Amino acid sequence: MSPRSSRRWALAGLLTPATLLLAGCFLVPLGIMATYSVLSPGLYGGVEWEFYPYNYGRVLGAPLGDAEEFDPVYAGILLRSLRLAAVTVVVCLCLCYPAAFWVSRLPGARKNLVLFLVTLPFFANLIIRVYAWMLVLRPTGVLTRAFDAVGLGAHAPDLMFTEGAVVIGLAYVLLPFMFLPLYASIEKLDPALLQASSDLGASPLQGFLRVTLPLTAPGILGGSVLVFIPAFGNFVVPALMGGAKVMLVGNTIEQQFLAARNWPFGAALAMLVLGIILIAMLAYAWRFGRVDGAVRP
Amino acid sequence: MNGAPASRWLGAWGVGFLALLYVPIALIFVYSFNSNVVNMMAWEGFTLDWYRSILGLPTQLAKSDNYVQSTATLLAAVRNSLVVATFATLVSTAIGTATALAIARHRFRLRRLYQGLLVLPMVMPDIVLGIALLIFFVSLGLDLGLHTIIAGHCVFLSSYVFVVVSTRLAGMATDLEEASSDLGASPWVTFRRVTLPQIAPGIAGGALLAFIISMDDLVITYFIAGVDSATLPLFIYGILRRGIKPEINALAMLLLAFSFLVAATGLWLRSRRQ
Repeated sequence: MSPRSSRRWALAGLLTPATLLLAGCFLVPLGIMATYSVLSPGLYGGVEWEFYPYNYGRVLGAPLGDAEEFDPVYAGILLRSLRLAAVTVVVCLCLCYPAAFWVSRLPGARKNLVLFLVTLPFFANLIIRVYAWMLVLRPTGVLTRAFDAVGLGAHAPDLMFTEGAVVIGLAYVLLPFMFLPLYASIEKLDPALLQASSDLGASPLQGFLRVTLPLTAPGILGGSVLVFIPAFGNFVVPALMGGAKVMLVGNTIEQQFLAARNWPFGAALAMLVLGIILIAMLAYAWRFGRVDGAVRP
Repeated sequence: MNGAPASRWLGAWGVGFLALLYVPIALIFVYSFNSNVVNMMAWEGFTLDWYRSILGLPTQLAKSDNYVQSTATLLAAVRNSLVVATFATLVSTAIGTATALAIARHRFRLRRLYQGLLVLPMVMPDIVLGIALLIFFVSLGLDLGLHTIIAGHCVFLSSYVFVVVSTRLAGMATDLEEASSDLGASPWVTFRRVTLPQIAPGIAGGALLAFIISMDDLVITYFIAGVDSATLPLFIYGILRRGIKPEINALAMLLLAFSFLVAATGLWLRSRRQ
């Protein structure tokens, strides 16, 4: 065998397992889901094989030219999910930006220790990190007891099962996704540039707005995408901390599959989530060239 | 930035940030030793009974439906989680490593497409992948169980292993491999004797990460688990949906200790290499 053709065989051998896995357990399932989303729901679960665009019409209504099945509840759920995901991104950003700055200025050994400490909770089970905040926010929880202890018991906020609780839970779980890309871009920032801007007469605020912010923008955007995506589709946090009061699109999809048994409608909702995420990612990739640049800008 | 006050503020913020990360976890730790059986949030005294109870050891606790049903269900969930994580890690480590080698060491037409496709399962919301797999398995007429969970986990774990091993390969010079093949070694011998020893830490890191993520996954597993194939996160989620029970604190601490141990080993190994 010539070396060239043996290299070809090696390549084929290396790629075959991934090809089978991605095609069989990823692309085909996504294709079936896309197909389901335009089929009619069966009377007792399952699907009828006929073209049925109203699954999307139920959420989007008029844009499809048919408002017959339109129910504003679903558009509202979609908008609320987008809003809470955006708020989560802002909360994570505000918490992480100064913290990442702080870590980047620590001396060597301590910097490594703190980076280790920041990364470690990321490996803890997600359900346990959510549970930790349930302990804090539940009506008889740590927060209420803390207010009681300082004599402000009457003013203790009842946060459990509110949008606030969902944002707190999401932000806590997703913090590392914001911190690491931010840290990566802040770490690369040359302090001499800030020094130069202040030598040339810029105020600290001007220095921040004109030098620091633009140079760390890739980290900000990368972190925002990485937090936004899982926050938007999440259903564990809203199910445990939002209860029935804060329905997000993730819970609605889950309900359609496991309770309402309207799979085509659930599939259509999932396709809408996927579409919104893809638009966000394409916008990001178009701006910064690479999709995987999010982690290492 | 003007000197001391600004950096003092920054330091205070940083310490607050670390506190925010760890205080909630520390609370679980404290409450896991609380002996109050009536109101778990009010501190009464120190006890190890919650730990003894989930391990199936005799305790002083009165029987009550306040507690986790049975140690047998819990142990079954732990076993399911370990089985899934072990098999899914083995398969996805092999697939992810092979793909990383193909992408890093070969030039071919669909290279960019493969790179993009491999990133997708990681960035896609879990719920979308979960229901796509559910519809797929059900349309195939498969019964849901451990095998469907393992297959589902392999899809996204392969991507994580791929990324970790690729990073390792990218930071590695190719001259040793070229020297080995110039000296007449076959591709297999070059791989076995030159490439593999160099990327082994990357493979180990990828496998460790895959194992932790598999043990942690709730959303995808939620949709593709069968009736009697609940994993540990599913088991805990089920309990939390029905209300908080004091034993959860002890269970959570054991689980945390386990994942911190695995993660700390991985991070320590990585820092030693550099």
